[in-house]
Parts: sequence; C-alpha cells; structure tokens
Amino acid sequence: MDLEDDTTIFKTLKSLNTFISRPEHPQRPSEQLGIGNLQSHYKRSFEILEATERVHSQHRYLQLDQEKQQMELSHKRARFELEKAASDSARDLEVQKNFMDRNQDLLERMKKLEEREKEATNNLSEQVEANRALHRNLEGLNKKLNDRDAKLTTASQAISSLKDEIRDLRQKIQNQDAAISVQTLENQELQEQLDLQRRKYQEATQLCQSLQAAKAACSEHVIKIKELERRLALQEQDIAIVKSVKSEMARLPDLEKELKRLREDNAFLRESRENCSLLKEEAEGLRKKLERMEKNKEELINIELEKERVAEKLQAWENIGQSTGLNIRKPEDLSREVIQIQQKEIALKEQNYTLSKLTQQCSKTLEEQRKRETHDALVRRLQKRVLLLTKERDGMRAILESYDSELASNEYSPQLSKRVKEAEEVLQRTQNHNTEMEAQLTKAQEETGVLKLQLQKVSVLCPSQFARQKIEDLEKERQRLEEQNNILEMRLERHNLQGDYDPVKTQVVHLKLNPTTEAKQQRQKEVEDVREELNRLRELVRSFQEGGMVAQDDSRIHTSGLNLRKQMESSELRNQRLKEVFQKKIQEFRTVCYVLTGYQIDITTENQYRLTSAYAEHMQDSLLFKKGSNGSMQLMETEFSKTLGEMVNLHLHHQKSIPAFLSAVTLDLFSRQTVF
Amino acid sequence: MTSTLKGVTLKGSAELVADFFSFGINSILYQRGIYPPETFTKASHYDMSLHITTDAKLKNYLTNVVSQLKEWLFECTVQKLVLVITCLETNEVLERWQFDIECDKSAKESSAPREKSLKTIQDEIRSVIRQITATVTFLPLLETPCAFDLLVYTDKDLVVPEKWEESGPQIIDQSEEVRLRSFTTSIHKVDSMVAYKRTNSV
Repeated sequence: MDLEDDTTIFKTLKSLNTFISRPEHPQRPSEQLGIGNLQSHYKRSFEILEATERVHSQHRYLQLDQEKQQMELSHKRARFELEKAASDSARDLEVQKNFMDRNQDLLERMKKLEEREKEATNNLSEQVEANRALHRNLEGLNKKLNDRDAKLTTASQAISSLKDEIRDLRQKIQNQDAAISVQTLENQELQEQLDLQRRKYQEATQLCQSLQAAKAACSEHVIKIKELERRLALQEQDIAIVKSVKSEMARLPDLEKELKRLREDNAFLRESRENCSLLKEEAEGLRKKLERMEKNKEELINIELEKERVAEKLQAWENIGQSTGLNIRKPEDLSREVIQIQQKEIALKEQNYTLSKLTQQCSKTLEEQRKRETHDALVRRLQKRVLLLTKERDGMRAILESYDSELASNEYSPQLSKRVKEAEEVLQRTQNHNTEMEAQLTKAQEETGVLKLQLQKVSVLCPSQFARQKIEDLEKERQRLEEQNNILEMRLERHNLQGDYDPVKTQVVHLKLNPTTEAKQQRQKEVEDVREELNRLRELVRSFQEGGMVAQDDSRIHTSGLNLRKQMESSELRNQRLKEVFQKKIQEFRTVCYVLTGYQIDITTENQYRLTSAYAEHMQDSLLFKKGSNGSMQLMETEFSKTLGEMVNLHLHHQKSIPAFLSAVTLDLFSRQTVF
Repeated sequence: MTSTLKGVTLKGSAELVADFFSFGINSILYQRGIYPPETFTKASHYDMSLHITTDAKLKNYLTNVVSQLKEWLFECTVQKLVLVITCLETNEVLERWQFDIECDKSAKESSAPREKSLKTIQDEIRSVIRQITATVTFLPLLETPCAFDLLVYTDKDLVVPEKWEESGPQIIDQSEEVRLRSFTTSIHKVDSMVAYKRTNSV
C-alpha cells in the first residue's frame, strides 16, 4: 500500500515537475503578454505546490507515525530483552565474580604449589642423579665382587678337583703297591708250587712207567679173570639147574597131591558154575517178575486213580440221579432212561401229530359250533319276536274284546277284523318259521354230534405208522430237492462266473467309444484300404497283361527310369573319382609321413596300427599300437618290442611319451646302421 | 482319499474301489500285453510298483469309465465290472475279468463311517493285484491282436447316461473259470475272477 502510495506520489511529483517545468517555456511569450496573468498563474501553481506539499507531508507523517509505532514496539521488546539480559548478566556476573575470587585464590595457591613442586622436582632430580651415581658405583662394585666370586669358585672347584685327583692317585698307588706285594707273594708261592709240581711230575713219570707195566699185567689178569668168571657163571648155572631139578623132584609128590586137589576143586567149581548159571537165570526171572510187578503197581495206582475219578463221576451221576429223582445207578439205567425218553419223545411227537390233526378237526368243529351258535341266536331272536307277537296279539284281542264289550256285535268294523286276520296270519307265519328254525337247530345239533363222534374216532385211531411213512417220504423228497437245489446253485454260480445275469434285475452297459469298437473300426478301415489297394493292383496287373493299353503311363515310367539311371551313373562316376583322388592323397600322405618320421604306418585290424621303421634291421621288425576306448594308444608286444625293454621303461612307463619313444628307437636304429 | 484312518465312509469306499479298478485294469492291460509295454510307466501305489499307461487315448477312456463308475458305486447301483478281451481277427471273446461288486445299501442311509482301517483295505487290494499279476502264469497266451472293453452290470432301473449304451454280456463259449481273491471296504465287497477260453490242445 505504501509502495502504491509512493508511486502515486512520484507520479504527482513528476507531473508537478513537468507542470512546473512546462510553463517556463510559454512563460516567456506570456511575459510579453502580461504580468497579471503570470501572477495568477504563479499563485495557482504555488497553491498547487503547497497542496501537494501538504499531501506529501501528511502522507509522510502517517508513514513516520507508523514507523514510530513499530520502533516503539521494537524498542519495548528490546528493552524488555535488555532488562532480562541485564538481570541474567547481573546474576552471571555475581556468580562469575565469586568464581573469579575463588579462581584467583586457587591460582595463587597453584602458583605456590607449582613453585614448591619445582623446588621438589629440582631436589628430586639432584637426588636421582646422586642415586644414579651411587648405583653406578654399586654396580661396578658388584660386578667386581661377582667376578671375584666367580674366580674364587672356579679356583675352589679346581682345588677340589685337584684334591680329588690327588686322592684318586694316592689310592691307585696304594692299590698298586698292594697288588705288587700280592703278586710278589703269589710269585713266590707259584715258584714253590712249581718246584713241588716238578717233583710231583718226576714222581708221576715214575709212577706212570710202573703203571703201564702194571696195566699190561692187569690186562692179562683181567682176561684171565673174565674167563674164570665165565666158567664160574656156567658152573653156577649148572648148579642152579641141578638145584631146581632137585627141588622140583622133591616137589613132585606135593604137586601130584595138589593136582588131585585141584582136580577136585575143578569139578566142584564146575558144579558150582552150573549152579551159578541156574541161579542167574532164576535171578533174571525174578528181576523180570519184579519189573512186571512194578509195572502192575504203577498200573494199579493209575487204575486206582481212575477208579477214584470214576467213583467221583459215579458219585456225580448218582447225585444227578438223586437230584433228578430218576434212580440212575448204572449205565444200563441211563440207557434205559434215554430209551424211555426217546420213546416218550416219539410218543409225544405222535401225540403232537395227532394233536395237530385234532386241532384241525377242532377248528372244523369250532366252525360248526359257531354256526350253531348263530343258529341259536337266530332261534332266540325269533322266539323273542314270537313272544312279542303273542303279546301284541293278546293286546289286540283285549282291545277287540273291549270293543266287543263296548260295542254291539254289529258294529264290528271290517277294518278291525281285517287287522285281526292280518295279525293272525303273521302269527301263523312266525310260528312256521319258528318250527323251521327248531328243525334246523336239531339238525345242526345232530351234525355236531356226528362230528364229535368223528373227532373221537379220529383221536382214537390216530394212524401213527402212516404218518411216519409220510414223514420219511417227505424227508426223502426234501433231500432230493436239496440236492437239486445245490446243483442248481452250482449252475447258477457257474453262469455267474461266466458272466450271465438276470435280465429282469440287471442291465449291461458300456461306453459307446470303447477301445474294442475303435480297434474294430480301425481294422475295418485297414481291411477296406487293403482291399482297395488290392483292386487297384489287380487292375494294374491286368492292364500290364493286356499290354500297351496304358502306353502313356508306361513311357512316363520309362523316361523317369532313364532319368534315374542317368543320375545314378553320374553319382557313381563321381564316387569313383573321389575314391581315386582319396587313394592318391592317402598314398602321398603315407609316403610323406614315412620320409619325415621314418615310420611306415599300416592299419592291420580295427584300432591297431603297425609301425615299421625305415632303419629297421629286419623286414619283420615292427611295433604294434592299439587304440584304447578312451583314445589312448598302447604298445602291444611284438618280437621287436621285446628287445627294447629299456626304452619302453624309460619313455613309456616313466616319461609317458610315445613320440619320445619312437624317436629314441629311430635314433638307436640309425646309429646302429651308420656304425656298421 | 477322504476316508480317515479310523473308518470308511460311503464316499471314501467308492473312491477306494474306483482307484482299485483303475490300477487293476492298468495292470491287466500291461500283464496281458493288450497294449505295448513301452506305453506304460511305473508308479508306486499300495506300497507296490504298478504299471500305468501313458497312452493319452486310453487314459482318457479309463478316466471316463472310472469317474462314472465312482458315481454308480456311490449310488450303489453297480453289480459287476467286466473287462472283456476280444480277438480282433475272429471277434471271439478270449478272456473275461469279472469283478462282482456287492454294495451294502444300508450305508446310503446311515452316514456313519465303518470300522475298518485304510491300511487293512489296502493290504487286501494289494493281494488282489498281486494275484492278478500271478495269473499270467496259467492263462493261455494271447497270440492274436486283441482289444478290450469294459462292461458294467448295473441295476435295471438305472437311466443309461449319454455316451453309454446297452451291450451284451460277451460270454465266452466253453470257458474255464478261476476265482481270485476278494476284498471289502465293509461297504463295497469286490470278488474278482477270470474266465478264459478253453484251449483244445490240452
């Protein structure tokens, strides 16, 4: 707004200026025209000027006023802030002052302390230096001391070792002295011994000589002694023989006696032996008997056990017998009871049968009775009706009599007489009916009597045999039917297994599009196709047979055949040429290989290559290589390769290089050729 | 399988039986060489290795039949399923694999599951399939090209669905029958048997 105002002001100012500046030019001519005009103009302009100035000033005043207000505001704020700041700073200042005071105290103290410290450090350094110097001296002294100690110890050690040595040596000397003395003593002894020995030796030689002489004598004596001894032994033997013979001779009678005794003994023993065998047999028999007895005993025990069991059973049976009151004491009793019961059963069955028949008849009689009862009821009803009618009739008669008594006989109305007649008729009819009914009743009673008689007869007769036969027949028929049923069931089962079904209950369905029909359709189609082709071929054959009928086709076939033949020939020719070229190239390649490597390579069989060196000593010297499945080459054994063991080892086994091996072989062969 | 370990519902039973048929039919087709063995792949089911066809057409046919069968099993209106093997040259029926199905129709009313574990049922099914595999030893060789068809014996009052039609029972003239094992889910009982044409040479 201010800005807009400013612009307006400037506008007015500008216009004013222009206004002021413009009239100056025409003023000059107007000056010439007259001063009054100018005066008025001047006045007016002055007034305008004043007005503008007023406006301007007013505006400026307003502006200033606003500024002043703002200033005041800002001033107020500034003052407020200042006051706040002042109060804060005053507070801070106080705190700071306190701090400062304290700080100064502290600083002073610190300074003092620092000074003290400095002094102390100075003292300390001096002391340290003194210490160090002392230390150094001490160390020097220590070192010296140590050195001396070391020397002392070494010296003492040396002394001790020397002392030890001296001691050892002294001991040795002593020992040796002792040994020497001992040895000298020994020497003396030995010499003494030697002298002794020598003497002994002389004695011994003398003795020896005497001994030899004695030995010679001795041997002779010994031979003599031996001979004598032999003789003596012979004599002794003879003596012994003689002695034994003598003793035997002396013992002979004794022996004979003994023999006799022994014979007797023998006979006795034989007898006793026989006895013994007899006894043994007896003992065996007894043992067997004993065994049998034992067995019997065991059996007896078993039997007794069984007996007890049986007795218990019997007791049980008896108990049952007592409890049932059937007086069963023995099995016969039981069987008798059973038979009785069976008979009873049969009788009951018969009774049952008769009863069933009776019941049938009873039902019949019951029906009859019912009929009779109905009849009776009818009769009763009719009797009631008759009573009623008689009463009515009596009533009527009474009325009629009263009429008769009241009226003259002439006054009998025909109507009444008619009624009476009618009533009488009715009566008559009912009476008739009654008699009829009574007749019927008696008849029915008679019938029932007859039936009752029949019933009694039937019940008395009861043809049991006939019934049994019938039952048997029925049983037979039942069995026959059962068999039939079984057979039929088997057949049914078979049919079921074969896939038969009951068309009443079951239906068979399958998918329209099933594999069988599809296969059948396909087959049909194939058959048709084949048939069509057959027909076509037949026609073709016929046409061929007729000949020339289809010349066009024939020529076409012919031309196509010619074309094919030409093509074949050209391709064969090309093949031939290619083969020739290949052969030539192969030959070239092989010769080049032979010249360059010195080996002729031949393929003997599949995957086998024979290498013949150019420098081979013999024509048949060759190496055989076989290509393995993984492409690796292996050397096969030949006569020639056997002679190359070393190279095979070195180059193939060790270095694993076939080219190196081949070149080594080549070099070897080459060197051999050139040497000779 | 919707059946729990504890029992078998009608729906679960129908699924079990339908599955059995699917695997059984595949096994027969493989064992009898109706389709070349290279069109089969091995699959493990019922803890045993089974041969399943890879032939798309055959697969489609089998799924069609089995799904319809499942429905009928659920309704308890199916009595038999028969796999008929026909000689293509003479149109003679050579083999009939018959599966008699007895449905316990009371299961339709009461939805309570039966007390029979899935494991025992699967054991029974496994033994049936094993026996089917073993029958190859005595069945005569199929020397001519053959095709198979599946017949379903249903209740008479059943409305024949679209794509299905009535068929004859395809009974074999002069046949030998062999009963095989049976299994039951306690709702459906399946007796299996095979009938084959008696060969004159024996």
